[in-house]
Amino acid sequence: MKNSDKIKRAIAFYSFVMLFFILLPVILAYSLGYHIDFKELKIYKRGIIYITSHPTGAFIYINGKLHTDLTPAQIEELKPGTYRMEVRREGFYPWEKEVVVKPNMVTKAEHIILFPIVQETKRIGEEETIDFAVLNKSNIYYMARSGLFRSNIDGSSFKKLSSYSNWPKKIVNKKFSTDGNKFLYFDERNIWVVYLNLDKTIVQNGENAHVEEVLISEDPIVDVFWHSLSNYIIIITEKYVDVLELQGGGKRNTATLYKFNKKPKGLYYDEGSDSLYFTDAKRSADSKEATYLYRLDLRQTFFSKLMQLFTKKEVETLDEKR
Amino acid sequence: MKRDEFYRRLFEIIPGLLTWSTLITLFILAFVKPIWVAIFVITFDVYWVIRVSYLTMLLVFAYGRLEKEKKIDWLKDCESLGSIDGFEYGDIYHVILFPVYKEGLEILAPSISALENANYPKEKMIIILSTEERAGENAWNNALALKEKYNNSFFQFLVTKHPDNIIGEIKVKGANATWGAKALKYFLDSKDIDYGHVIMSCFDADTCADREYFGCLSYHYLTNPNRLRSSYQPIPVYNNNIWHARSIARILELGASFMQMVETMRLEKFVTFSSHSMSFKTLVEVGYWPVDMISDDSAIYWKCFLHFNGDYSVIPMYVTVSMDVATEKSVIGTIIKQYKQKRRWAWGVENFPYVLMGFLENRKIPLRKKIRRAFHILESHYTWAVWAIIITFVAPLPLIFGGGLFRQTAIGFNLPSVAAALFRMSLFTILVCVFISVKLLPPRPKDVKPAKGLVMIAQWLLSPLVVALLGSTPALDAQTRLMLGKYLHFHVTEKSRHGHAVQ
Repeated sequence: MKNSDKIKRAIAFYSFVMLFFILLPVILAYSLGYHIDFKELKIYKRGIIYITSHPTGAFIYINGKLHTDLTPAQIEELKPGTYRMEVRREGFYPWEKEVVVKPNMVTKAEHIILFPIVQETKRIGEEETIDFAVLNKSNIYYMARSGLFRSNIDGSSFKKLSSYSNWPKKIVNKKFSTDGNKFLYFDERNIWVVYLNLDKTIVQNGENAHVEEVLISEDPIVDVFWHSLSNYIIIITEKYVDVLELQGGGKRNTATLYKFNKKPKGLYYDEGSDSLYFTDAKRSADSKEATYLYRLDLRQTFFSKLMQLFTKKEVETLDEKR
Repeated sequence: MKRDEFYRRLFEIIPGLLTWSTLITLFILAFVKPIWVAIFVITFDVYWVIRVSYLTMLLVFAYGRLEKEKKIDWLKDCESLGSIDGFEYGDIYHVILFPVYKEGLEILAPSISALENANYPKEKMIIILSTEERAGENAWNNALALKEKYNNSFFQFLVTKHPDNIIGEIKVKGANATWGAKALKYFLDSKDIDYGHVIMSCFDADTCADREYFGCLSYHYLTNPNRLRSSYQPIPVYNNNIWHARSIARILELGASFMQMVETMRLEKFVTFSSHSMSFKTLVEVGYWPVDMISDDSAIYWKCFLHFNGDYSVIPMYVTVSMDVATEKSVIGTIIKQYKQKRRWAWGVENFPYVLMGFLENRKIPLRKKIRRAFHILESHYTWAVWAIIITFVAPLPLIFGGGLFRQTAIGFNLPSVAAALFRMSLFTILVCVFISVKLLPPRPKDVKPAKGLVMIAQWLLSPLVVALLGSTPALDAQTRLMLGKYLHFHVTEKSRHGHAVQ
């Protein structure tokens, strides 16, 4: 090795050794949360506040003082203590909170949402709409004065499906079938089903959807659920749990699966297991009434029971063991 | 004898034990003391960035020397030297020994052709092809065919067949090389040639020497007052098939070239590697290459070092010898091939017990020198086996296993950003590597599309993956085997050159 190389190498080596011993304590101290106060010539343990907001770019005020960084920001050099944090952005409601900063620790204020003061709205759809239903976050179905329409979720590809416009005055709820080919809506005593994606060979008068009233109930309807097979609906009235078959022409089969002792207060239908959960009251031996939670399994024995009911042509209340 | 065996096993165990202790301790601490591990990781990262920056600077120095010395007409310089110590360059014989196994003509012929193209007088060059008996008739016939073709091109073209199962030998390249060197000795004796005038270059079968190689070597040999106590190390580049090799393999081999260039600037650690040269007189005096060690290239250096009581050095030569990139047609095949090759290189850790046993016996080498050299071997192999694992696998452990409380601490929060910042700081070294790798590239073959030039640059994006896969694992494997006494057998890296472009 030439002498000049030796000298160059020695200079490089000792420079890098020095650099290591200078850099290491600085980087380690910073990483561990230590900070040097050059004014007081003191080293103190600092805390960190990590703050993010949506939208980003909001001003940060700490104890009323504006911080130099906008969100998202990592605010260091904070001595331990309690700080009043404000996040402000023009046109948005401010966010305020008191946060505690602990030595060598990180306090996170993440995912702060700043809500706009003036909400911008955009009209979706071109028709006067009574109500609407959304399928799988992808399509909007408009129950409009002039018929049934469909568009993408952003309002694009607006298209008329049917001229049907005899919508009830007060629609209680709307629900899509599991296969997405139908949805039902109901008011206090009536249920309608909208058949979508009709077979083009049977489409009449250019209609792409067909609306049909499927039930008129004597008792007020509490709720309606789709069976996971999409061809049955479970109707909960104040007195009964009924099932209604939609498939096929001719007479539509119905059956009563359960009779309530008292109008149910709580209802839940689990599509995964096709089970209906509901509350009902029962009078005990000492004539005291108590309410319990029940579960009705509509999958394991549902069709066999239903077939029995249809063949016997009688309706019976299922016992409480269900 | 029992005491020797005990010490040998102890020295075999130390590198692997150190490496595994480090990794296991870090893994356990990541659960129980994640802050300690985070501090260690940051410290190691800082150390690594500084180290890599320093080595990159040495690489730039070495590259500068290489570029500068490329322009030297070494033969002219040799002629101008006149007579030194009673002999001049015209007296020097160059012997090029190829210990070969099953390498075909397509590998060997270009290597010998490169020697034919050297600007050194051919009447002063002797070629020896030392084949292996166990390689079969085909290997022997290839050697004979080459002898027939090149016999008149050189002063002498010798062909030998190394018998199998010689007592005391294991199946390693050093045993074959020793056999070939002994055959040469008979030849030189018959011609009454002074061993001190003969320089032995032991080349891998795929080694293509630069045309200036022997002029450069002669110059260093003549001008070195300690010529008999020195080995002469060229810079290995892997240019033979680099345009046709897989990117992963190219990065690794370029890395190896760069490390060799860096080593030329660190003479106190410099050890012979792969194809290199030395005086035949020295070789005979030390009793040839070890016949029971895999890493014959470095082992011969240590053998000389011990024999001459520490008075032995390696002289860097800024001239290249080009070899094959170990590559395959498939990516997986390439990774496996590279893994095996790097594991064989990492098996150089076998020098640690060999050298330490030598140090125990040798009372003439100063203790300080013994400690320094032993530390260099241990440190280099230890670092090789842990660095990539620490950077890629240990670094995230505190965050994964440290729990929510750790992540709420300042160091837990800062660890990813500090590590990322340090990583970014080291990126400039990649740019230097890209620049030098492009400068070292041989001309693009006609069958390779021009766009491949961009691949030669873009390939460096694979560096983190290559580091994670093959940075430390071959060394860890080698050290573990040595620690457990499951010794590696010599695995010949199969040379293959594909005539098609591989992206």
